[in-house]
Amino acid sequence: MMKGLAVSFGLAGRNLLLVRRVPSVFIPSLVMPLFILIATAGAFHGIGALPQFAGASYLAFTIPMAATMGAGFAGINSGMTLARDLEGGFFDRLQASPAPRMALIAGPMFAALVRSVFTTTVVLIAGMIGGVWLPGLWATLIIYAFALLFGAAASCWAIGVALRTRTIQATPIMQLVVFLSVFMSVAYVPVDALHGWLGHVATYNPVTYILTASRAAELTGSVIWSETWPGVVAGGALLLALAAWALVPLKHLARR
Amino acid sequence: MSHTALATRQTAALAWRSIITTMRLPQAWFPALFFPLVLMAIFTASFGGAPGNIPGFPPVRGFLDFAVCGAIIQGVLIAGTSAGAAFATDIENGFFDRLVASPTSRVAILTGRLGASIALGVAMALLFIGIAAMFGAQVDGGVMGIIVVVIIAALFAAAVGGLGVYLAIRTGSSEAVQGTFPLFFALLFFSSAFFPLDTMVGWYHTVAAANPITYLVEAMRDEVIGGATVGTALSGIGIALGLACITVGASAVTLRRSLRVGS
Repeated sequence: MMKGLAVSFGLAGRNLLLVRRVPSVFIPSLVMPLFILIATAGAFHGIGALPQFAGASYLAFTIPMAATMGAGFAGINSGMTLARDLEGGFFDRLQASPAPRMALIAGPMFAALVRSVFTTTVVLIAGMIGGVWLPGLWATLIIYAFALLFGAAASCWAIGVALRTRTIQATPIMQLVVFLSVFMSVAYVPVDALHGWLGHVATYNPVTYILTASRAAELTGSVIWSETWPGVVAGGALLLALAAWALVPLKHLARR
Repeated sequence: MSHTALATRQTAALAWRSIITTMRLPQAWFPALFFPLVLMAIFTASFGGAPGNIPGFPPVRGFLDFAVCGAIIQGVLIAGTSAGAAFATDIENGFFDRLVASPTSRVAILTGRLGASIALGVAMALLFIGIAAMFGAQVDGGVMGIIVVVIIAALFAAAVGGLGVYLAIRTGSSEAVQGTFPLFFALLFFSSAFFPLDTMVGWYHTVAAANPITYLVEAMRDEVIGGATVGTALSGIGIALGLACITVGASAVTLRRSLRVGS
């Protein structure tokens, strides 16, 4: 157990070291959530006048979405790094070592969580520059927790894709699914303002409940359990399903 | 055969080659169709309550009518970036050098590529209007309105195609040309392509008001949602033509310089 954790942290450390060595991988994951925050809050500012927003600031409404998307990108980064390791042969050397198999995906996932903390902090600071102050200690921690939950789920998704395709060229598939999962939820408006097909899709999309819970914390400044628990259940189920998605090919690789 | 007739035939042949190359590579055309259409669908479903309910939103039948022109411009931008990257690939793999070594007209090298961009821009505008119409959108300006939208899309495609050729010759790298896509994407978001200018505030409004894409999209949109005049149509066409002249002129000068250096 301790050995597995040590290997995981070692791999996470290596993963984070690449942030400095290969900035072209990390910078987009930092710039994208900032861009999404500024572009969404700026371009769609007027939609905040709808009665469903109840007078809430649209920038404050957008912060949890940008934080969640930033964490999603951090998760994708872990899959990209793993795909690069698979292409370059480093992963094969790891497999030949006595390192526990679980640690081979836990390491990149830990790195994604650390990056998620970083991107969420950047988004919250950008929000403060835009005039939206932190919603209080517990509510802020809730925003971090849901961003990390989604970041871990996105990391499992990207790792699963990397292990199946073994190529960095699969990056667009990793990104596309994360993008669509967020945009086909309550990314831009509350659920009762959605029209037509998106209303149905968003109802079954776990990201809707993650965003709703995070948003409730941001907009009310307090932890409302009735809004939070659906996010915990939906996010937890998503993480479990995607962890299984990542673990299955790892078992097959071990038999090769 | 006269020089002009020969150059025209070579332009048509090179344009056809570019179109075929694009059609054969799903990664070249799929993003240009998929992303604008998906975003159009998501925005229409998310912002369907905006018309008539928020101050500054123009009177429209539905958000889809409002959104379709932004999607066309987005598709043209993505397709143009891919076309620029394809031209850079021609430089990378030596096809451009073989073309230069052959008795092909120098003008046709540029006009062939631009012809393909324009043809794809026209096809994209018609396709997007058709798809939007299937889901209930209507072009208020009728056939004339569609013609104006298509002309602006075609000129804008020429402008993006010219920029793609310029970047391809300057960098010689398809990756570098593709790498400029996020900048174009940002340019699109910092305009009124997806939401009305009058609903924006502060510095964002100032940036969007200074962005030429705002006026291109609004000229096209006026044809779809109503309120278009000869003046709005001509201003949209004029801006698109101006952008095309700048980028095509820059690409022609860069091409001539690169040929002079190479010879």
